[in-house]
Amino acid sequence: MSQSEPPGGLFGLSYDRESELFETLKLVSTGIIVLIGVWPIYWMTQLAFTEYEVVERTVSVFPTPELFTFSNFAILTEPKMYTYIFNTTVVAIGTIITVVVVSLVAGYGLARLEFPQKENFARILLIGYLFSPIVIGIPLYQIWRTLGLLGARVGLIIALSAISMPFAVWLMWKYIMTIPEAHEEAAWVDGASRWRGFRDVVVPQCRPAIIAAALFAFAIAWNDFTFAEILLPATDTTTFAPGVLREMGQSQFLPDAYLMAVSLAMTLPPLLFAYFMQSYLLKGFQVRAL
Amino acid sequence: MASETGESVRPQRAYIPWDDLPVNRETVAGFGTVLPVIVLYLLIAVLPVAFAFWASLHDIHTLNPVWEWAGIDNYAQVLEISMFWGSLWRGIVYMVGSTLIQLAVGLWMALVLNRITRGQKLLTAVVFTAYLIPTIIVSLIALRVFDPQGGVFQMLGAEWFSLWDANQAPLGSQTWAMPLLILIGTWKFSVFITIFTLAQLRAIPNRFYEAAKVCGANRWQMFRDITLPRLTGIILVVVLLRSIFMFNKFDIIWQLTRGGPGNATTTLPVLAYKTVYTDQAYGLANAISVVMFLFLLVGAIGYFLVFNPSEEVETTA
Repeated sequence: MSQSEPPGGLFGLSYDRESELFETLKLVSTGIIVLIGVWPIYWMTQLAFTEYEVVERTVSVFPTPELFTFSNFAILTEPKMYTYIFNTTVVAIGTIITVVVVSLVAGYGLARLEFPQKENFARILLIGYLFSPIVIGIPLYQIWRTLGLLGARVGLIIALSAISMPFAVWLMWKYIMTIPEAHEEAAWVDGASRWRGFRDVVVPQCRPAIIAAALFAFAIAWNDFTFAEILLPATDTTTFAPGVLREMGQSQFLPDAYLMAVSLAMTLPPLLFAYFMQSYLLKGFQVRAL
Repeated sequence: MASETGESVRPQRAYIPWDDLPVNRETVAGFGTVLPVIVLYLLIAVLPVAFAFWASLHDIHTLNPVWEWAGIDNYAQVLEISMFWGSLWRGIVYMVGSTLIQLAVGLWMALVLNRITRGQKLLTAVVFTAYLIPTIIVSLIALRVFDPQGGVFQMLGAEWFSLWDANQAPLGSQTWAMPLLILIGTWKFSVFITIFTLAQLRAIPNRFYEAAKVCGANRWQMFRDITLPRLTGIILVVVLLRSIFMFNKFDIIWQLTRGGPGNATTTLPVLAYKTVYTDQAYGLANAISVVMFLFLLVGAIGYFLVFNPSEEVETTA
């Protein structure tokens, strides 16, 4: 707005000086964020490409040609690591699908259908976050053992879905509230059933919330250590986090460079998600407060 | 919203037997939609907590399924063991320290990410990645960079700042273990606050700022009068969630220090886990987790009474 009179700046500074100061601050801040945000990921990457003997002994900042190697990634094809990563992927996908389907339906119900106590229901759900994974996990060990779900991926998927659920339901509920009901009414007038209206009108418009809920569920499942540690004692269903920690405890020598190579492989999917989905993600999270 | 056009446009269907029930069809459908949520919730929250409470009244050896009635003995024991109060205190230090630093860092990152013009998408993606990558990887990197053998942070701290000895592992030192746990957690979990705040910031229309500019407001006034009011609701919520999550945090602590050195980083979740798998006292561990839950419940109710973060519900949509 160049045509307007420049307003007075902060601390008695002129507007131009203030803008300059602000720009500098922004630049410095960006620098720091790049440093703390990118650096650990860079460090992991460079260690993953460096000969492991070197990693064990000295600090290398950049893998020079004679130290550069792809051989660390051989660990990805090792049966155990491969199984861990495969299990994590299965659990993550299973959790995402469960969470999205269940929260979409429940969110629709909460937003569009009248039934007693629905607000209180949504609030009580959030109390679920007061239960520490430990508080739930320890009894769940016994319950899952009784039900025969101990050591089964399905058991972990159920547990993780339930953990992501309250938040996803709440998100979906608030998001569907922002979609005008008139859109559905138009479909109903044309003779669509409630189900058709939900499927063809509401679901397509919910894409940002679906992606936000999916990403949240993905983060929970991809991250999970506590539940997997307690609920998956068997090796052939163990997921990455507890698996790799047990490997470290058991094997005499598991080079750090190898671990960094596996870590890099596990970091790429989240990075790609974050890059390509961020505008949807942010839009999905635009619902305000609880 | 529906009432504007009346109920008449709502789809009609053929006769279904439960139309005769004394409840509205919509009520049934409504409960139907949330039924899966209720089932999952019962299975994963209500049942385990009831189970934990019941188990906490018994003496149980972890590997031996015989339950011996103990009444409230376990609770008496929980409050007696000195480890409990120490762990509670360390848990509170960890929770408050982490939440405050994460709030500051998270807000700051969101404000900067919202304003930068070049490389915004890429930098945002990298920052978000921190929240999405498995905790174990954050732990592996942290263990690596703080390792006395070739760990770059360990070396910097020893040689440049003389914070620790050249061959000392900071994560294994009484003084440094807790602060480092807080800092490493901050790297990962601040992003949670960044995501929510950034979403809110993106939702503020630019014309608000332009209007304020015309009226002669400076940047601080714009922040105070436009940005901050839009953020308070979500800040109150994320602070509550983050405090709860940090108080309940088990994974990153266990992976980095296993509660050590000594008990320097043993918080209540770690104590509960150790009680199950090291001391094999399943009943006692459940008593610890019930007490933990009660602490959080009281804390959360207090927080709601003071700040009422759900106030915003009415103004949404």
